[in-house]
Amino acid sequence: MNARRLGLARLGQYAIVLVVAVTLNFALPRLMPGSPLALIAGVEAGEMTPEERAAVTADAGLDEPLVVQYLTYWKSILTLDFGYSFRQGTPIEELVLGRLPWTLLLTLTALAVSGTVGIALGAFSAWRRGSRWDVGSLSFMIALESTPQFWLGMLFIALFSVSLGWLPSFGATTAGADLSGLAWVADVAEHAALPVLTLSILSIPAVYMAMRYSTLSVLGEDYIRTAQAKGLRPRAVMMHHVVRTALLPVTTVLALRLGWAFGGTVVIETVFSYPGLGRLMYDAVSARDYPVMQGTFLVFTIAVLLANLLADSLYPRLDPRTRV
Amino acid sequence: MTARVITESAPEPQIVLRRSRVSGDRTRVLGVIGAVIVLALGTVAVLAPVLAPYDPTERAGTPFSPPSAEHLLGTNDVGQDLLSEMIYGTRVSLTVGIVAAAAAMVLGTVVGLIGGYFPRLGAVAMRGVDVVLILPFLPLLIVLAAYLGRSIVNTVIIIAILIWAPTARVIRSQVLSLAKRDYIVAARSMGAGHGYVIRRHVLPKTLLLAIGEFVAATSGAILLESSLSFLGLGDPLQESWGSTLYWAQARGAFLTPAWKWWVLPPGLLIMLSALGFALLGYALEQRINPRLRRS
Repeated sequence: MNARRLGLARLGQYAIVLVVAVTLNFALPRLMPGSPLALIAGVEAGEMTPEERAAVTADAGLDEPLVVQYLTYWKSILTLDFGYSFRQGTPIEELVLGRLPWTLLLTLTALAVSGTVGIALGAFSAWRRGSRWDVGSLSFMIALESTPQFWLGMLFIALFSVSLGWLPSFGATTAGADLSGLAWVADVAEHAALPVLTLSILSIPAVYMAMRYSTLSVLGEDYIRTAQAKGLRPRAVMMHHVVRTALLPVTTVLALRLGWAFGGTVVIETVFSYPGLGRLMYDAVSARDYPVMQGTFLVFTIAVLLANLLADSLYPRLDPRTRV
Repeated sequence: MTARVITESAPEPQIVLRRSRVSGDRTRVLGVIGAVIVLALGTVAVLAPVLAPYDPTERAGTPFSPPSAEHLLGTNDVGQDLLSEMIYGTRVSLTVGIVAAAAAMVLGTVVGLIGGYFPRLGAVAMRGVDVVLILPFLPLLIVLAAYLGRSIVNTVIIIAILIWAPTARVIRSQVLSLAKRDYIVAARSMGAGHGYVIRRHVLPKTLLLAIGEFVAATSGAILLESSLSFLGLGDPLQESWGSTLYWAQARGAFLTPAWKWWVLPPGLLIMLSALGFALLGYALEQRINPRLRRS
């Protein structure tokens, strides 16, 4: 299969994922027992007269055949009309766009941090494979993967915010403070520090594992032996020949990690009361604000798909072997 | 857990290095540590009524009391004994983890077996697997939980739906290579039916792999259960470690000294159990997975 057909197949696959996500959003509230009115129109059907109920049902389009409802739903999604919040009455696009920058700030910073640390540690671990250091750091990474994200965040708050008083424990900016310029940047950085730290630490293991395996496989290649045989110093072999090649598959992992980190913000932002998309989703679930929950779910899906697309388009650019 | 899924959807690097004996022994040590942790927690879960000093649902002391001789880990906001809650929580967390992972193993093995044995059908099935792998994990978990409602059965179902996909992939690649072996081709050519070949030749060789996957998946399932309970989407009647943390968060326990006995122990237990299964799974995988073994 040539690269172009492969690319088309991938795109088709992402389209299927999107269709599945939208269909889930459409089907779940309609499949649940009881009247879908509470889930879709946000009203208590039990307290209404039959006439009122009929009016609300017609208003929400629930008296139409399912196929028509489904197509109408798609039409609204494609025109980026996600509906209104039950609780606040605000259009969902507006809510999402207001929260998106904060989540991007957290996830992109965490990706940069965890990428750098994970790649460096993974390469070093593979270089010293089988050593005490390698086994030690590998075990530590397995332990990190077993750590509940929200719990680590709570511990950081107890330690850095409460005991030491170094960093704020909630929000994205100091409430009520009217800051501008550098003071504002410093305030934002201070508030983002702990969530970013938590998210970064928990993203490191996946990058580390990928880099370690990738480096190990490159180390077994013939051209590495050639490089060693012609008398290059181990450091030079490592820097110029091994790490550069080993980084290639890791970029894919990194891009996919971005999608993961996006989803992970639901718990992290909840712990830190951070006003991003994850917190929006959590609040929507707690308040039974279903349209907002569905809207955030779609945004998360689109984010993951974009991260995958990024990985797909980045890889051939970095690795000349995959070019046709 | 999420990490495991994502690394597996990335292109798989081939390990061509010879694994040294030393590192093999160390892997075994990790496996033994994992087995000890899992056994210890299993014992606590079985003996919970004997070990717990109080009924975790009864009001056993003054709310918010710090650790004392009567309450070794203090009490929560309604005066329930936290130590007893931890001990009984072992039951909920382990049960959900093991049952969800077992269901995922069965589903993943069936899809993987059929997908590997009938390659054309398998190619279609793998598209489905990819969809599950790409969908954003935690948000999907939350959406499903929000609609299905809070009960322990729903928690198990939701987690199983989300974690079966990697197992299906691993099993399929194993079956694909098995199905081409001479003795299977020979059995087929002598007129053995598909059902017979699968039962007699394919299943026994994949079962071990499935068990390794099951143990590793349990670790992820325990973590997912804790996240779900922490977000207030767990069974309100079955207090797990995650729900203890939900209440600790709701009552702001981590802003007071109470974090040492209210926040620290449940998190450590979640970590310990996830780690126990992960180590055990890692060691099993090193021994079982043909791709890693011959390295």
